[in-house]
Amino acid sequence: MMIPTGEATIGPFFPPRYVDAGANDLTVFEGRKAKGEAIEIHGRVMQEDGTALENLIVEIWQADAGGIFRHPADPRHAQADPNFLGWGRAATDAQGNYRFKTIRPGAQEGRAPHINFMVMFSGLMRILKTTMFFEDGKDPVLMAVPAARRSLLIAKGNYEFNIRLRGENETPFFDD
Amino acid sequence: MKMIIQPRDERTQPARIIAGYPQTPLRSPKEPLVKRAPTLSELSGPLEVAKRVKLLGGDIAGQGEKQAIGQLIHLRVRVLDEDGAPVGGAVVEMWQANAAGRYIHPNDDDHAPPDPNFYGAARVVTDESGVFELRTVKPGAYPVPTRDGWWRPPHVHFSVFGRVWLARLVTQMYFPGEPLNAQDRILNAVPDAAARDSLVARYIPPGVEPYNALVFEHQIVLRGRAATPAQP
Ligand SMILES: [Fe+2]
Repeated sequence: MMIPTGEATIGPFFPPRYVDAGANDLTVFEGRKAKGEAIEIHGRVMQEDGTALENLIVEIWQADAGGIFRHPADPRHAQADPNFLGWGRAATDAQGNYRFKTIRPGAQEGRAPHINFMVMFSGLMRILKTTMFFEDGKDPVLMAVPAARRSLLIAKGNYEFNIRLRGENETPFFDD
Repeated sequence: MKMIIQPRDERTQPARIIAGYPQTPLRSPKEPLVKRAPTLSELSGPLEVAKRVKLLGGDIAGQGEKQAIGQLIHLRVRVLDEDGAPVGGAVVEMWQANAAGRYIHPNDDDHAPPDPNFYGAARVVTDESGVFELRTVKPGAYPVPTRDGWWRPPHVHFSVFGRVWLARLVTQMYFPGEPLNAQDRILNAVPDAAARDSLVARYIPPGVEPYNALVFEHQIVLRGRAATPAQP
């Protein structure tokens, strides 16, 4: 039984089945395997004092292995991988960790490979958006970030992307 | 395809740090948000989320022996884009407290009883006119046990997938004429009065279907100057 604290009782209280089983695995869609290199992305989400946040919702949106978005705004969308949705959702565990299995996205003209992130949680009056990159480069969205903070958007290893909502090494978020 | 995205008007969006909501100063970014020129990546977005998540239909009040306790209400909500055009095929997730003001959630305390016949959440898709309808029970208010105690008025949470990533919206809907609306820290974190009012549903007097529930209509604007304020 949890002690009722301010934390415990303002919400939002996401429904028990808000994160569907398999929603964090983008490598399979409707039972069929997506094309490309399967990768895992994981990370810890923390608040100002470094405390890890449990049951926080993370969503991602990305292009397929060919760099194509499954959306009519993409002029190449007719060639999009039919077995790749490009969207996923995960909740953080008790240690504040989220995990996605996905496909390493291809680049688009003018954009480096990247994955869009969205975070929703208690204490966030508005959802927060950020973008993960695989390496430093001349991407316009990365270049919009002050140079000293760019490295915070670049995944480490295979592939770790921590999200600090506030405080030391605060993740850059975008004004969307 | 037309893809001009107007920015949201800051006065129509809630303050990020508010008194009496102790999580907000720990979790809201301190650094200014980075402005970026939208690219294809943000001007596209998931259109087929309904194929990935389980939909849970338009009647969450239940029927027969499985009826939830509470005032039956019927919500008719229209989802619009920034030009006022209906957004058909949008996935909308909704969740709410039961009639006693209790959620099914391990962090919700014991201030009020759970209702075994009320799950309190739905996931629906808008029709071609941007509308979805829900039969539910009116959510109860619930107390916020901070030192200066305040209450959340009856409200419904919505999470909406528009046509593009920039249009992703998480918000709440309130009920008209509720005395607790005036003291709610979350609703009143929106500076602009008209924007606050846009979060309050409209009560439809008797005489329209369905005849056995109180009918409320509401609209959600995903982007632009008239965008519905975000809410946690
Ligand atoms: Fe709530």
